[in-house]
Amino acid sequence: MSYCVNCGVELDATAAFCPLCHTPVVNPSQPVDTESPKPFPTHRVEVPEVSKWEVALLLTAMFLSVAVCCGILNLFLRPELSWSLYVIGAAVMLWLWLVPPLLMRGLHLGLRLVLDVLAVALYLFLISLGLGGGDWYWPLGLPIVLWGGACVLFLGLVLRKGRRSILTSVTLVIGTVGVFLFGLELLIDQFVLGRWEPGWSLVVLAVCVALVIPLVVVRRVPALREEVRRRFHM
Amino acid sequence: MPKADKRSKKPDWYPLDNAGTLYAAIQKERYSAIYRFSAVMDRQVDPAALQRAVDRTMPRFPGFRVRIKKGLFWHYFEPNDAPGPFVCPDMANPCQPVRFRENNGWLVRFFYYEKRISLEVFHALSDGAGALTFFRTLLAVYLRELGEDIPSGSGVLDVDAPPDPEEMEDAYTRYAGRKVLRGGWQRTAYPNTSRAEPFYTLNVTMGFLPVDRLKEVAKSYGASITEYLTAVLLQAILDNQRQEGRRREKPVALAIPINLRGYFPSKTLRNFILTVRPAIDPALGEYTFPEIVAQVHHFLRLHLNRQEMRAIFTGNVHFTTNRFLQLIPIFFKNPVMSLSYRLVAARPYSATYTNPGAFAVPPEMAPHITRMEVILGQATRPAPHCASISYGNQMEITFAGTGESSETERRFFTHLVREGIPVKVESNRTR
Repeated sequence: MSYCVNCGVELDATAAFCPLCHTPVVNPSQPVDTESPKPFPTHRVEVPEVSKWEVALLLTAMFLSVAVCCGILNLFLRPELSWSLYVIGAAVMLWLWLVPPLLMRGLHLGLRLVLDVLAVALYLFLISLGLGGGDWYWPLGLPIVLWGGACVLFLGLVLRKGRRSILTSVTLVIGTVGVFLFGLELLIDQFVLGRWEPGWSLVVLAVCVALVIPLVVVRRVPALREEVRRRFHM
Repeated sequence: MPKADKRSKKPDWYPLDNAGTLYAAIQKERYSAIYRFSAVMDRQVDPAALQRAVDRTMPRFPGFRVRIKKGLFWHYFEPNDAPGPFVCPDMANPCQPVRFRENNGWLVRFFYYEKRISLEVFHALSDGAGALTFFRTLLAVYLRELGEDIPSGSGVLDVDAPPDPEEMEDAYTRYAGRKVLRGGWQRTAYPNTSRAEPFYTLNVTMGFLPVDRLKEVAKSYGASITEYLTAVLLQAILDNQRQEGRRREKPVALAIPINLRGYFPSKTLRNFILTVRPAIDPALGEYTFPEIVAQVHHFLRLHLNRQEMRAIFTGNVHFTTNRFLQLIPIFFKNPVMSLSYRLVAARPYSATYTNPGAFAVPPEMAPHITRMEVILGQATRPAPHCASISYGNQMEITFAGTGESSETERRFFTHLVREGIPVKVESNRTR
């Protein structure tokens, strides 16, 4: 019989390493027994994860029935207004938000967010159809949704990677909000005035930058970080 | 007379006891309220004889021959007449979470591997003491199938006798009093987690040590074996936390189930346990090991008394008899119970340590069993649970969890080795 040189526990004759400290067994007078059965079975039983198809099917049926019913109702009830498009759009958006992530557990966060943003864009498109005018959707609605989606995607992907400190997360969120509002005004100006006249968003951006710079400095300088930790400890 | 008639009539369904209610509500894919007892025999297991023994033993234990069903307000058990349960070859990842609708609804499983016979039980059915009575009887019937002459008695039930109604009683309700003792909000304990292994992996590490030597060492600290091992586990987890280098150390607390049959006589084979919470708070200062042993020893001696324990489980019984809670449909109740389990029964504990004690068998059986083992299923988080059982002069201690780290068990067993107790270690880890 072998003993672990590190832990001092007796090991099973078939053990090639110590299960406690993972030190390999090297015993010239008694090599590891690879013939005898191991103390525990080595055959792993794989269990499939519980199928989410039933829930997905239920959700699909729910949304589908709501959409179809409203669509048919619209033909008889105030047919001059295509109000059912709001409901159908909402059903499609909720379906896209809920069902694909349910069925694909390992779906990448980026892909999921892209899908969610596209769902919002689609919903907005259906509303614009319902209001009978694509004139505001293409130049204003869609760009705002895409710009907002890009900002959320950036935040989602950056914050997901590893454990960010509270300081870093707050800095990133404030910075992104500033940049988003800056872009928002640009898009609105382009739509309303036809040219870019930066105004309120510059104030917001300046405030955000003013907040971000000290946060970044505190984050980078260890002495300051320690000081902040000391002053604001809970 | 009518009352006696009513008792002798076999009920076709029955409600879960309050512990079972909780286990049924929180059961899910990433938590397993399944525990396993294994017996390593003196020869290779004969699966056909084992299957015959299972078929002969199950009718004697109606509490294990059930499936779980969902009512409008609570789960309930009903007799299971489906084929089975069937004995299966064992697997590397034991104590898999139960799925109520799979495996014909059986909540007990039987496995064999080389010389080992294993029984897995869903905790809503029975606690360790009840399952061990079932297992002891099953082993006796199995040995009889192999031609051994094993008498009934001394813990082995007669499989030809009708089931005793007292074995099916809900002992909590029987002994519940009026006064309720609320434990109050317990502080969050150090979680002792490490990186999680892939889905359905359970890392099991067992240590075997001589009981006489262990008793000697425990006695030198003025403690019982359970108290001493509890203290060693507390010390191991405290050291884990110290090494992690937290700025603010959290208390380390263990959940220790206590078998209430010793305090409130009952023959029940269903749940009848209560957990106590010995804890060490390193924020108060450094505890030496003898001080930890003394803390555990005095804590258990102070709190394990009939009056206090009755008042605590009376509160749990009130939970299932509260009119207002009863009227909430089960699909609202389950998520709330699952959350409250996390807050009240998982977060304030670093680990569970259960010691069902010595497994005693009739002398005719003893030469055929070489050792006993116990494993607890995976916790709600990737942290190991600890369980131990002794048989003859051998103590078996198991660490089982879904975390990658083996630090807790390493510290635990090397502590025992340093105290002069020889330990032999076996594991299903492959890396």
